[in-house]
Amino acid sequence: MPLENPFQDPLRFQRRVPECALVIFGANGDLTKRKLLPALYRLAYERRLHAGCAVLGISRTPLSDDQFRDKMHSAVKQFLEDSPFDLDVWNAFAQGIFYMAGNFDDAAMYPALDARLKEIEAARHTGGNVLFYLSAQPSQYIPIGQGLAAANVGKRDNGWRRIVVEKPFGHNLESAQELSDELHGAFRESEVYRIDHYLGKETVQNILAFRFGNGIFEPLWNRRYVNHVQITAAESIGVEGRGSYYQEAGALRDMIQNHLSQVMATIAMEPSATFRPNSVRDERSKLLRSIRVMKPDEVLQNTVSGQYGPARIGGEDVPGFRQEPGVEPGAQTDTYAAVTFFVDNWRWAGVPFYLRSGKRLPKRVTEIAIQFNAAPLAIFDGDGTASAPNLLILRIQPEEGISLKFLSKRPGTGMTLRGVSMDFNYGSSFGERSPSAYETLLLDAIIGDATLYTRQDMVEASWKVVDAIQNVWQNTKFDFPNYAAGSWGPKAADDMLARRGHVWRQP
Amino acid sequence: MAGTIAPDRILHEMADLWVTLGKEGEGEAGVLRACTMTLVVAAEESDDPQGIGETLAALMPVHPSRAIVIRFRAADQRALAARVFAQCWMPFGQRQQICCEQIEITASDASLADLAAVLLPLKVPDLPVFLWCRSPRVFQLQAFPQLAAMAQKVVVDSDTFPDPSAAVRQLKQLVVGGGALADLAWTRLTRWRELIAQIFENRVHLCDLPQVSDISISYRSPVAPASALYLAAWLREGLTRIGAHARVHFGSDSGEPAGRLSLVELRRAGSQEPVARITLAEGPAAEVRSGGLTNTALLPALNDCALMREELSIPGRDAAFESALAGAAGLEVS
Repeated sequence: MPLENPFQDPLRFQRRVPECALVIFGANGDLTKRKLLPALYRLAYERRLHAGCAVLGISRTPLSDDQFRDKMHSAVKQFLEDSPFDLDVWNAFAQGIFYMAGNFDDAAMYPALDARLKEIEAARHTGGNVLFYLSAQPSQYIPIGQGLAAANVGKRDNGWRRIVVEKPFGHNLESAQELSDELHGAFRESEVYRIDHYLGKETVQNILAFRFGNGIFEPLWNRRYVNHVQITAAESIGVEGRGSYYQEAGALRDMIQNHLSQVMATIAMEPSATFRPNSVRDERSKLLRSIRVMKPDEVLQNTVSGQYGPARIGGEDVPGFRQEPGVEPGAQTDTYAAVTFFVDNWRWAGVPFYLRSGKRLPKRVTEIAIQFNAAPLAIFDGDGTASAPNLLILRIQPEEGISLKFLSKRPGTGMTLRGVSMDFNYGSSFGERSPSAYETLLLDAIIGDATLYTRQDMVEASWKVVDAIQNVWQNTKFDFPNYAAGSWGPKAADDMLARRGHVWRQP
Repeated sequence: MAGTIAPDRILHEMADLWVTLGKEGEGEAGVLRACTMTLVVAAEESDDPQGIGETLAALMPVHPSRAIVIRFRAADQRALAARVFAQCWMPFGQRQQICCEQIEITASDASLADLAAVLLPLKVPDLPVFLWCRSPRVFQLQAFPQLAAMAQKVVVDSDTFPDPSAAVRQLKQLVVGGGALADLAWTRLTRWRELIAQIFENRVHLCDLPQVSDISISYRSPVAPASALYLAAWLREGLTRIGAHARVHFGSDSGEPAGRLSLVELRRAGSQEPVARITLAEGPAAEVRSGGLTNTALLPALNDCALMREELSIPGRDAAFESALAGAAGLEVS
């Protein structure tokens, strides 16, 4: 048998994708409908998936294969963003979609799953490769891990087995370790893919290209030139019917523990020796482990918890968090969190990293702003704009791109300076559709590229930092609400920066 | 038509153009200038000017460039003329126009030899130069190699040549000359080739590959287009690499749209079930069959813009193409 496919052409073809079966636990859920199936269909449309690729959905609801295909057909048509729907491609793709009803707590389900996978393998030539996807309720992750381990479904002689886990990866360090231990009963750590869809975004990946593909920025990327860093993930919407879930999560755990910590790690990590998954993840992990864990008496000085109250926006009354359906009237949940992190390493010692995330802020925007130190001497007279600091803005969404703000002479006879912006816009510079984060990450998992996935040591490192904050917050009675919907968050967040002479950017 | 053109004057006109565009954008977000290459287009004077303009406009957002369109007329008298303008577009949902420069030069065949000296100062420093020759006639002109020598890559479309087999042999000579070359007839095959390669990513199907004895390729034209020759050569070479030696059978059918490939099939001797088969169905859909499984993939006919998008993404040499070109030049088509 030939060892290599002689028809591969890496110059022109996209990445090589092996055949596999994808098993989705929680196939009736929102994530499957809104993200996973549209992403898989899109990959099929782009000819990225192997013809024999199969999807097996599992959920409690009894459905036939055809009923499940019909549901997914409607979902894909509804949630397929900026892509055409082709019925012929769908029909061919749908031949590989299967369904089985099952209770994740029922040990008998797992041998049945194993048998179904063998049938699919024979019919679709999936080569024994299986990617499990946990899209179920987080409380069911452990029973699923135990079920797969007991029935030995996670280990086989032929093909590979991997499992993708959606956040939350526990609700604190202890529960994250427990979840990991249970998953390791069925899978090795290298087979566990903890998904953080932020890392799948093109612009977050572009941070690596920007930092390590160019020679001019790296010399500036340290405490000597960088004054501070602001990472903002703002949402203009509220909890949108997910009040009861969000009440248990909060912005700190929902955003900062995972997405923003990972973005920060990508911004601040050391260059990896190679672009191999573990090499990149080692550096991310090292950075996360270098974030200073706050002592209890430092927490309230360096963090701000917020919750939005009612407001009138654009002529419309907007409820406060406590007025949202499913939310307790006295909820102490943080819908806004801002923190000041310090990285204890030679590169970043003393440089504040300000992270903030909130709901019902004025606009939806995610960006990283790196503020450089001002010129050491202000030789130009003027109104103060002449000493404005240089800013490098990495916009993650929307309008993905990079801007460098610097000063330029205003045309005329005098020497007056004006701030100008040099913009790189991702969409307009390449003019091509970027794959969605789920397309990128699903393909990575099928190919076996874990670069953009989170490893357990990274999860534990960020929980250590967040637990220290969470422990203090849980014992503090906050005077909520403390910001109006539609504003940029509580005044205390401005004060937190002002103590170090800084000001939040208003993106 | 004026007798000569001065590169300095063109550069000056371009500088004025940016000042004017900047003034038009004043008070708003201004215009953004983008450029990643110099794209020289050599076309016949009779070549659809609107079509070329639309293709360049569609290419600009993906490959922002200084485009220099040279329109040739068959004339013995030396003559050159030029004009300068900008291609701008407003990305969806944004406030800032993005603009690229376009220079249009009209030239007689006789002035082809003078063009290199005009183009040299007009190319954007430090960025690659691509030459897209849309005219088989211009490609055959004696002075064409001088024009080609200033480009990192020359792009032609041998499917537009009257005799594809002869065109392929001629292109092979050009590669021997040393420059990077691309043929849109090869670019048209990328999706076909990718589908074939994907089939054999599966180990079960890969095991069948050494037994392949026959390759069938059908096309919708009376003579085998260059694409069919390239595909045959590429498949044969891949099979040879794993120790299989296959015969190639070309066939012609009368379906629409004319000129396209309609079928590629790999078969082992004595078996009814193909090892792999891709059949163009109705519209852009193609049926992909392998190992008893049938799938549907889209293989739409690609326009010049889509083909050029792909080629402009590859500034260097393409070893797979050069190898297929060498193989295709030696193929006997009965």
